[in-house]
Formats: sequence, structure tokens, C-alpha cells
Amino acid sequence: MNSTLVMLLAGGVGSRLDILAYARAKPAVPFGGVYRIIDFTLSNVMNSGMDNVGVLTQYKPLSLMQHIGTGEPWDFIGRTRGAKILPPRTGEKESDWYKGTADAVRQNIDFIENRDSEQILILSGDHIYRMDYSELIKFHRTKRADFTIGMMLVPWEETVHFGVGITNNDNRIVEWEEKPEKAHNNLASMGIYVFNTEYLLETLRIHQEHDFGKNIIPAAIELDRVYAYPFDGYWRDVGTINAYWSANMDLLDSKSGLDLKAWHVRTRISEEGRLGDRSPTLVSPKGSVINSIISPGCRIMGYVENSILSPGVFVGPGARIVDSVVMHDSQIMASAEIIKSILDKNVIVGENTVLGDGRVDIPNREKPHHLSEGLVVVGKGVEIPTNCRVGKNCILQPGLTPEDYPGKEISPGETVRPRQVEE
Amino acid sequence: MKNVLALILAGGRVDELSVLTLTRPKSTVPFGGMYRVIDFPLSNLMHSEVERVGVLGQYRSLSLFNHVGVGAWWDFVGRDRGAFMLTPSTGHAASDWYKGTADAVYQNLDFVQEQAPEIVLILSGDHIYKMDYRRMLNYHLEKNADLTIAFFPIEIEESNRFGVADIDDEDGNMGGTVIDYKEKPAESGYPWASLTIYLFKPAVLYDLLDENARKASSHEFGRDIISKMLGKYRVYGYKFYDYWGYTRTIDEYWQTNMHLLQENPKIDLDSWQVRTNLDHDQLRDRPPMKAGEHAKITTSLVYNGCEVEGEVLNSILFPGVKIEKHAVVKDSILFYDAVVKSGGVVDKTITDVDVIIGEDSRIGHGDDLTANQNHPNLLNTGINLIGRDVHVPPKLSLGRNCIVYPSLKEADFDENRYESGITIS
Repeated sequence: MNSTLVMLLAGGVGSRLDILAYARAKPAVPFGGVYRIIDFTLSNVMNSGMDNVGVLTQYKPLSLMQHIGTGEPWDFIGRTRGAKILPPRTGEKESDWYKGTADAVRQNIDFIENRDSEQILILSGDHIYRMDYSELIKFHRTKRADFTIGMMLVPWEETVHFGVGITNNDNRIVEWEEKPEKAHNNLASMGIYVFNTEYLLETLRIHQEHDFGKNIIPAAIELDRVYAYPFDGYWRDVGTINAYWSANMDLLDSKSGLDLKAWHVRTRISEEGRLGDRSPTLVSPKGSVINSIISPGCRIMGYVENSILSPGVFVGPGARIVDSVVMHDSQIMASAEIIKSILDKNVIVGENTVLGDGRVDIPNREKPHHLSEGLVVVGKGVEIPTNCRVGKNCILQPGLTPEDYPGKEISPGETVRPRQVEE
Repeated sequence: MKNVLALILAGGRVDELSVLTLTRPKSTVPFGGMYRVIDFPLSNLMHSEVERVGVLGQYRSLSLFNHVGVGAWWDFVGRDRGAFMLTPSTGHAASDWYKGTADAVYQNLDFVQEQAPEIVLILSGDHIYKMDYRRMLNYHLEKNADLTIAFFPIEIEESNRFGVADIDDEDGNMGGTVIDYKEKPAESGYPWASLTIYLFKPAVLYDLLDENARKASSHEFGRDIISKMLGKYRVYGYKFYDYWGYTRTIDEYWQTNMHLLQENPKIDLDSWQVRTNLDHDQLRDRPPMKAGEHAKITTSLVYNGCEVEGEVLNSILFPGVKIEKHAVVKDSILFYDAVVKSGGVVDKTITDVDVIIGEDSRIGHGDDLTANQNHPNLLNTGINLIGRDVHVPPKLSLGRNCIVYPSLKEADFDENRYESGITIS
């Protein structure tokens, strides 16, 4: 499969993921305890036998760049293999930020031209799924397609978020609607594209538009052989807080189709300046763990149920964590209670504090569309004082310190942010 | 500490660990849920900024090679750093297997001399401890010693298990001159036990090894070299008071592991900052531990790749261990990728890698503590040992102090009930 070059679009802002994507690109958001979202795509590439990847970054790329490094966790190392980070650069014009998916690829045409490839596989780094891309390439070749799009059936009410296609009996795409108000089909694009290399280079020269979905595809189906590769496995765009939480919870449901072990997902074990390795997790005499995923380096003296714990989480005596996602090195002090919450890294929850308390029917006041199903979202490094009660659909912004709290009760739907420092 | 060369004696086999060391040296016996014993001295060296290390392997050294590699996991890679695997080679004589610890170093003197160290630090690869060697190195330099040995305090009655010394009070709690040294004396012992950590002045080491090589002896540092130095050389004892874990016998190995499970563990893996080779046994490619709906985990260590549906109590599960529904694991240590099938019970047992315990089998059954028939001195406190890749059939009952040899499969078990003390091979 050396003749396939992979271009991985990993620049996404992920604004609907709110504070989780505040200081990192969406593909770098932690997932499933030890992983980041982009690991699923990178592992798919590896497991499909491909080993030449350009990763296009733009928004807050630091943690993503550290994570990918030289690509060695996915075995992209060696004379003919490699993972290259491709950030925007100043080109002929002064500022060449990537203006869209097609523009991002266009700005890296030299990267493509410098490598021999028969086809270019364009992927995005923010979906949770398992796909053998070599099957997709085989399909593309069998159909003698110019351009093939990975597509799957989605619920009708979600078609408004996707590019939607209508195909003929041979899977050839004959009509295209980009994020339609009222779709005529529910076969949606997964943002997975295979192009014949020459065809892609030619297309990007002819068209000056910035986006595959909006501009390139509609023009291409008129004239060229554009096919839909049908996919029907587990696939989630974890672009919203609720979708992110649900996909994490799918890890705990053996019938969900999301299976880390069977999928051979690999990651870089990030040690960020740690001198020792994370030790095995210790469950102490009064600790208990039910239906959960627990990473190394945790100390569990309390009760954990239906939850995902990243490395280094401390659960104090009498503390309870239920239906929650808790990221690296967060500390849940004695007798605290965490219900249906997402805690970013290094959060400290004081003794006897309760998160996710009270009524569910008050959406977040500032972002009612993003946060209305009862989740509490706590940003990186937030410290919550002792004996607090935080209602459902609340957002605690990154960097909050105990002095920032208006009181011991945070009502459902509130957003708390650090106070402005007075000059 | 650039001029220190460390040598780790990692080749030993020791019969006392029975089936656990049939296919690996003692230094790579798994420990503490994800580590190998040799990770402890290697991590100590890294934290002490001693970054050149020769690893002397001999017995079944494949797992040692795999594990240590070029030392990259302990940051030993660089222009002035390195981990070097030193195995016996045919030398002057046709077969030069290492005859003892001193002989092992002697046979690698060309390597040592080429490194031109100012101090040679000799360690054994089979203890669980955290030590900053820099303090001991400073003491060695301060005293202008020819040899400094680390000791820790014991009851005099325990002398017969150790190399023991009488140390004067020259530097109080820090150390003093070694007045006398005896190797495992049956009577009239001393209160300081050797930790087999030696700092040598290189010229002195070369002379002593040269001399030792010419004479018939056991070629051991403890037995043959130290006592001969007393009175002629500056030999100092450095006193060490922190935790020291032995893994020499099954009992010691089991007990040292259990020290990890205490409320405030004597072995604090996090503050010790122990590192291991995360590629060995695919440690880093395994998904996080998954506890099922009926899981019950108490006072135990678990790591990536474990799947627990049953009950785990007071035990250590290595990566990839699977405990099915209604299975119970108690007071046990299960190495990589063991499977305890539904209804199986494993009590006070050490299973090597890839062991499968069949449905409703009971391993560690009853109160009969009859010692092992072949190794009564070794296995008499109730611990069972199951060798690697053993597949125990369903509904089998095994007493205590039993040994099951590696690779036995379901059909190799003639009975469905084995009393305590039996060895199955």
C-alpha cells in the first residue's frame, strides 16, 4: 500500500466541544482514558498497512504535535515511512492560513508531488471509528473511480450537519447536497476521500474554491467518476459535548460496537516530563469499581461506576463517581460526588462537594444548544472548593480557583469563569 | 557522576524461584503488576545520574536483551551514556561461562577498562529498593575508600542468610570502616547485612580480580574477595535504612509483592519513579483496564489490558489478565495474559504468563499445608506455583504448596484432584 499517501486534516477548532477544545485542537481531546480522538484515525491508517502520512494542523497545534511526534507509536518510522506535521506557512501571499479542507490540501501540493503515490487518501482526525482503508482503496480501484467518498446512512434529523449524496445502482454518486435543510437522502459523507493523485492535482489546479464538500464534489459529480464507498460500522462524530460523552459511555457497553481491543487502537503514552512511568492502579480496601474503564496510576479509595478514568486520578475515601469522564491527574477528595460530569485534566474537587446535582430541565443559559442533557463540564485545572453543590448543565471554565466562586451553590445551567483581574 | 560505570549482575538463575526462573533469569522475573525486577536498579541508576551501565547476563538472557535493549527506556542513550549487554564469550579457554560474580566482572575487564571509569559500581539485579547512589558515591570519595559496601541493619540471629559485617562508628549513621566480614555465618554473626552493592576503585578492582582468577575459589565477591581485603585496603560500610525487598525465595518474592498493597505501601512506585520497558509485552499498546458490571476489586493492583468480570481480592494482576464472571482471585499474583474462567478460584497462587485456569477449577484449596514433596524447604507456607502456558482443565482441585511445570495442557492432568505438596510435571 505504499502507493497511497494519507493527508490527515487535523486542524479543527471543535467549538461545540466547548472548553475541552479550549487549549487543544479537537483531534487532541483525550478520549477513552488513555487515548486522544486522533488515535483512532492514526491506528486505522497503521492497521490498513499505510505508513506515509501528512498531518495538517492549524488550530492550537501544540498538544497535537507533541502527541504525534515522529509517528513512532503507529510505526510510521523508517526510511520509506513517516508522519509529517504540515502547519500553514507563509507562501507567495503574506498570510496563507488554511481556508478550508481543499485549500489546506492545495497549500501542500508540494508535499504530495514530492512523494510517489497513485492515490491520495484524505481523512479527518476527529471521528471515532474503525475502518480498513485498504478495502476502500480496493473499491476505488475496482470502480475505476476518479474520486471515492466514504459514506454511511445517518438518522434523517442529522442530515443537516453532513454532505448528503444520492447514488445509482453502481454506487456512483449522481446528486449532492451540502448540509441540506431538507435532505433527499440520508447517505452522509464521513469526510473520507480517495482521489487518484493526478486527478486531485488537476482538480486543485482548475478549481480555486476552498472546500471539498461545498465546492469540489458538486462540480466533480457532473463530469467525473465519483463513487460512494458504503460503511455501516460504528462511527461517531464526537463534535458535541453530548456526543463526546455518549461515545465514551459506548466503551462500557459491550454491544455498542466500539471495541478498543479488537480495533488495535494505539496511542503515545504521554509522560509530559514525568520521571517515572505510571504505576499500576491501586484499588484500596474500601475502593470499588463497577462497569468502568480505569487507566494506570489511579488510586481508588472510593466508589466508581459507569465511568472512564484517565491516568493518575485520585478517588478519595467515600467519594463517588458515576456516569462520568475524568481526565488525567484529577483529584476527587473524600466524600465528594461526581454525577454525569466531564472533568478535564488536573481538576480538584473539594471534600463533600457534589457535581451534577438537582434538576435536569434547565439548559446552560449561555449555550442552550450545546448543553441541555444534564452534563456538567469542568475545564482544565479548575479547583472546586469543599461543600459546594454544582447543578446540571453547568460549565466551569478552565483555571477557576476557589476565590472565583460566587457561592457554595451553583444553580443548574450556570457558567462560572475566572474573575477578571483588576488592574 | 559521569565517571561512574555501573555493572549489574543480572545473569543469576537461583533454583529457589523454581518454575518462575525456568525460562528467564531472576532479574527479569515480573514484579509489581507491570515491572521486571531489574527495573528497580535501572531506575535507581537513572535517577542517580549514573548513565553508563554494563548488564552482565548469562542464564537465558533473551528476555534480558528484550527488556533492557539499548537502555532507551531509562534515558541511557547518548554520546556519554549507554546500556551495554555483556554475555559470556569464548575467551582464553574454550568455554568461559561465568563461574561467579567476581569471575563475571573479570571476564569483562576489557570492557570496563575501555570505559576508563573513576569508580566502578557493582549491583545485583534482583532487589526491590529505591536508593540514590550519589550519596554512597560521595561517601566513598570522601573516605578515599578502595571498596565501599552498602549494608542495612538486621537482627544478629538472621546473620546466616546474609553476608554480614561489623562496622565501626566512624561516621555514625552514615557508615564506618568494615572491621570484619563473614559470608552467611552459622553462628556469631553481625548486625549489618550486605546489600551486595559495591563501589570499587578501578585499579584495586583490577588487581583483586586478577589475583582471584588465578586461584581456585568460588569466584564470588562476598565469599572470596571482601574478607581478604580487610586490613590491607580501605574498606568502608555505607549504612542504608530504607525499604529493602528481597525476591530470592518464593516466600520473599510473594511477600515483597504484597508490600505494594498496603494502605501506605512500603514500596511507593509513584514516588520511586520506577520506569520499565513499555514495549516489552506490549505494555503500551493495551487498552485501559475494564471492570465489568459484576466486578468486585478490592486491595489490588491492576493495569492496562486487564478485564475483570469476577472478584479480585488482595492480588496483583499483570497486563492482559482476564477474570471471568463468578471467578475469584485472592492473595495471588497473576502474570501477563492469564485467564481465570468462569467459576474458577485462585487462592494464594503465583501463575506465570499465559496460564489458563479452567471453569470451576479450585487452585489453592483446603487447609492442608503439607510442604512440597520435592522442595519442602522452599514451598511450605501454602503458595502454589503454576508455570507458564499451563492450561488447567475445568473442575480441577489443587491443594497448596504445589508446583505445576510449564506448558502442561488439559490432557496432561491425570487426576481431577491433587493434594497439597504435589509437583505435577
